[in-house]
Amino acid sequence: MSAHGVGVARVALVVAVLGFWEALAQLGSPLLYVPPSRALPALARLVSLQSFPGLPEHLWVTLGEIGLAYALAVGMGIATGFVLGLWPFIGRTYAPLLGVAYAVPSVVWYPSLMLLFGLGAASKIAFGALLGFYPMVVAVLAGIEQVNPHLVTVARAFGAGRTAIFVRIMLPAMLSTLVSGLRAGLALSVVGVIVGEVLGSKAGLGYLINYAYGLLRTADYVALVILTVVVVVAIDGLAGLIERRSRRWV
Amino acid sequence: MRVHALRVVTVLAILVAWELTVRAGLADPLFVPEPTAVVRVLGAVTRAALGSFAETLGKVAVAYGLSVVLGVGLGVILGSARAMRDVLNPFVVLLYGLPKILVLPWIILLMGTGAAPAVLYGTLHGFFPVLLLVMGSVRDIDPTLVVVARAFGATAGQIYLRVILPAIVPAVLGGMRLGIVFALLGVLIVEMFSGIRGIGFLLGAYANSFQAAELFAATLLVSSVSMGIVLVLDSMTGRLSRWR
Repeated sequence: MSAHGVGVARVALVVAVLGFWEALAQLGSPLLYVPPSRALPALARLVSLQSFPGLPEHLWVTLGEIGLAYALAVGMGIATGFVLGLWPFIGRTYAPLLGVAYAVPSVVWYPSLMLLFGLGAASKIAFGALLGFYPMVVAVLAGIEQVNPHLVTVARAFGAGRTAIFVRIMLPAMLSTLVSGLRAGLALSVVGVIVGEVLGSKAGLGYLINYAYGLLRTADYVALVILTVVVVVAIDGLAGLIERRSRRWV
Repeated sequence: MRVHALRVVTVLAILVAWELTVRAGLADPLFVPEPTAVVRVLGAVTRAALGSFAETLGKVAVAYGLSVVLGVGLGVILGSARAMRDVLNPFVVLLYGLPKILVLPWIILLMGTGAAPAVLYGTLHGFFPVLLLVMGSVRDIDPTLVVVARAFGATAGQIYLRVILPAIVPAVLGGMRLGIVFALLGVLIVEMFSGIRGIGFLLGAYANSFQAAELFAATLLVSSVSMGIVLVLDSMTGRLSRWR
């Protein structure tokens, strides 16, 4: 199929799904199956702050939680990854423990985090950081694997110090893997924060979603979901843009 | 061997340090129970949790079965039909990446609080990794294999059974390994969000009533069971790869 044909088919698919949804809602209950014809006005009311005047504050809460969670995930993940990767003995000993912990669905830890950090932002930040942490560690470890040991040997033979080897040889070789890890970690930190907010919170987009759902304001709920999806896609799109930039820089 | 011993020693050292920290009054046992307190309630929590475990694992089993069947089926279809894959791929990737919890309130609204929403939501989580891995693996099958098989007069059925199926076994196994953890994740989230039974509900209830020791014991149980399931699956997949 030509590129043009693929594009047409995609648009046709979206239109068909929306049309089917609209028909389903007319047949069933428009309260349960909020059709596009009700979702769009609700979205307009949401964006013009008529449904929830406090929306900007809640949006900021969520973005702030994501930012902090991600910063923690990156900091801890990179530090842990380098400690495990640069000292092979430590890596051999402790990396398998991390792998075992990853065989547990992450949400198992969330009630404990709620207990420790309360219903406020801290537990969401902790959960988002926890989710983003693992891909960062994996990316650093994989990146270190990619460094050509001959280059390190040659550089050392020519008298390069530890810092020079790290900055000039290791980092450039690792960069591509690191950047992929940074993006995967961001996506998971975002999911962690939003899951945490929906499971129980006092502020944020997830809180509003729960609030609207609890009051059966389903059209507002759908509008909030659309807004959250836009936020998530925008964050990922931005990360993708930075990723491509950094690849060109290498 | 030395590595193994060091690992055990480290974990024990952390537990002892934790115990001493709480005993010295540096951490509030209301939020961080000492390890010995967790061990004390472990027996009682295990007995209390048995029914919840059965309930949760039953839902996970159905969700997981559906994830694998749907994931492999759709993965083979999308992997072999190039045009369909080209059209659908961005949607699949988008849906995989979005936080699925956004649709959870709607699922609960439609399906209530029984087992059905947990199975659906668990399938939603477990299905995507299987689909993506299988789709990629079918797409990347060496086309000469298919051409040669066809030249020797193989029917479409034979090609799927003898060429494609063996080629995608590693992808299916990899997807099954990821899928079980995701299916469990989905079921636990539903139980925490709105369940009235199941182990996810139990975890949430212990947290809400500040029963820290019971919560930690239950968390320990769930994570052990999850690790156990993954280990069993790993040994089974090891055997299956050899069969291939």
